[in-house]
Amino acid sequence: MKKLANKSAQIRVIEVFLASFIIAFAFSFANIMTGLPTSPKYEETELEKVGYNTLYDLDKMGLLPRFIYNEEWTNLTAALRVLLPYDVYFNLTIYYLNGTKVNHPPILYGDPQAFSDSKYVASITYGLVNCPSRVNATYYRAIYEPRTIILQLVRR
Amino acid sequence: MVSAVYDHLVAIVIVGAIFISTVVVVPTLSFINLQTVDQHQLRNLAVNIFNAILLDAGEPIDWGSMDPFYMNDTRIRRFGLASAEASSPYVLDPDKVQRLVVGNPLNYCDYEYVRQLLGLEGYGFQLRILPPFNVTCTDGTPITEKSPIEINGDDLSYSIKVTYLDGTPLPNAVVRATIVCTSSAGSWTSGLEIITRPAVYTNPLGICSDSVELDYRARDIIVILRISTADVATLVVTFGTTPADDIAKINFVGDTLILTMPDATPRAARWVDYIIPVTNEEELEFLYNGTRGVDDMLNYGSFRVWSRQFNGLRKRNPIIFILAFWAVIQGEGRREVLVAGPYQNLLGYTVFEYGEQPDTMSDSSAVRIQRNVIIAGYTYIAEFWLWKE
Repeated sequence: MKKLANKSAQIRVIEVFLASFIIAFAFSFANIMTGLPTSPKYEETELEKVGYNTLYDLDKMGLLPRFIYNEEWTNLTAALRVLLPYDVYFNLTIYYLNGTKVNHPPILYGDPQAFSDSKYVASITYGLVNCPSRVNATYYRAIYEPRTIILQLVRR
Repeated sequence: MVSAVYDHLVAIVIVGAIFISTVVVVPTLSFINLQTVDQHQLRNLAVNIFNAILLDAGEPIDWGSMDPFYMNDTRIRRFGLASAEASSPYVLDPDKVQRLVVGNPLNYCDYEYVRQLLGLEGYGFQLRILPPFNVTCTDGTPITEKSPIEINGDDLSYSIKVTYLDGTPLPNAVVRATIVCTSSAGSWTSGLEIITRPAVYTNPLGICSDSVELDYRARDIIVILRISTADVATLVVTFGTTPADDIAKINFVGDTLILTMPDATPRAARWVDYIIPVTNEEELEFLYNGTRGVDDMLNYGSFRVWSRQFNGLRKRNPIIFILAFWAVIQGEGRREVLVAGPYQNLLGYTVFEYGEQPDTMSDSSAVRIQRNVIIAGYTYIAEFWLWKE
């Protein structure tokens, strides 16, 4: 009978438990909802900037159109390896305007598994219109042959 | 009654345990979050500052070419290294880069001043400019520590190893050497010889070598190595002999080449004999032939500074200059001496290094970012470290 009489204390313990859970849940929820910028987003943005910077540099030097339109895949791989940070893996794919792939051997550096396993893969899309060929000292000829370059980057 | 007391005691213990664990866990969670926020803020700040350094020309836009330039020049209202003339981003102005070379006799901006200009009080930073790949001796020794050039009588040979920045060998890199040397005959008319060697290629281990028989026994030798892979090139300048570093301080601002007499012994006068700019053109050309008259003399007093303006020189994008001086070397007497400049660290991995050394062990939150930049037509990798002090 006495045990039944002491139910109030047990109820308080249960109340305390519930209150604690509610407080703990509130804290966890607050932590989740504080809207912290997630690190992966920064990582992706940073890699995107690095990738775009590299492609732009190669384009500016006149190398990117040459490598792509002359299908110099070895040179393209070497140039990307030299210009991208050494702790970054890359996978570059080139497409015709109709969406079919230009490069059949993959232009890849690093472990291909890294691209499927990593949650944070940066992807840069870069467009080329053509590769002007020099006819004479003052005259260049260019035919409209667009290519879309997709560069995927992932940190080791 | 006793049972109720026990129940209350248990309740108090549980509540106490929950309270203590909350007191421990919640601040830890908050601390981790604060650290994450801190790291993100640091990364954000680093990106913004690095962009400001590389994409902004600063104010005034030609602050690197101001003449005269004072130490920590207060006329600089905003800091940035970008070239004001370049139409594309990430092209740096060599004049501005030179204003960060500590010890520049034509004055420079020190770390504290640049930190203040960038608004980085409370933060430490380092800016490095690296070639896109490493060039070392075949055993991996940096060229700054050991010259890759061997001289045996009239024969000159070199062996180098080219690697990616992660240390893996770079095969099939094209290496073109240009040799500039002076004769060991210490005569008044002793001249320079420039030899351009055909290209050699690195093997699968990234190693290549070349040898040449010189027409005479050389005294001072400078070898310019242009190393390229997939047409991305870097330039390495290395001495075959111990370089004389106290002949003159070399500076290049706008179209003007400025030589300054250093405080060194012997304090004898020296004359500018030849000036050869090294550009991204393979062939070297003489820019200036001295007369060994008063006009080409460098000495103490009123002859402490020698400067000449060469119209259009900046447009040729010279990255360094090779100069031949008629100068006295201690223990050897007067002879033709080769020097190179203006960058202090021409031979090492790093073209340029500015700021404090990041302690990557203790500064675990140090942020590193990289961008490709172009200086004087060559591609380099700019690396920026930022950490909280």
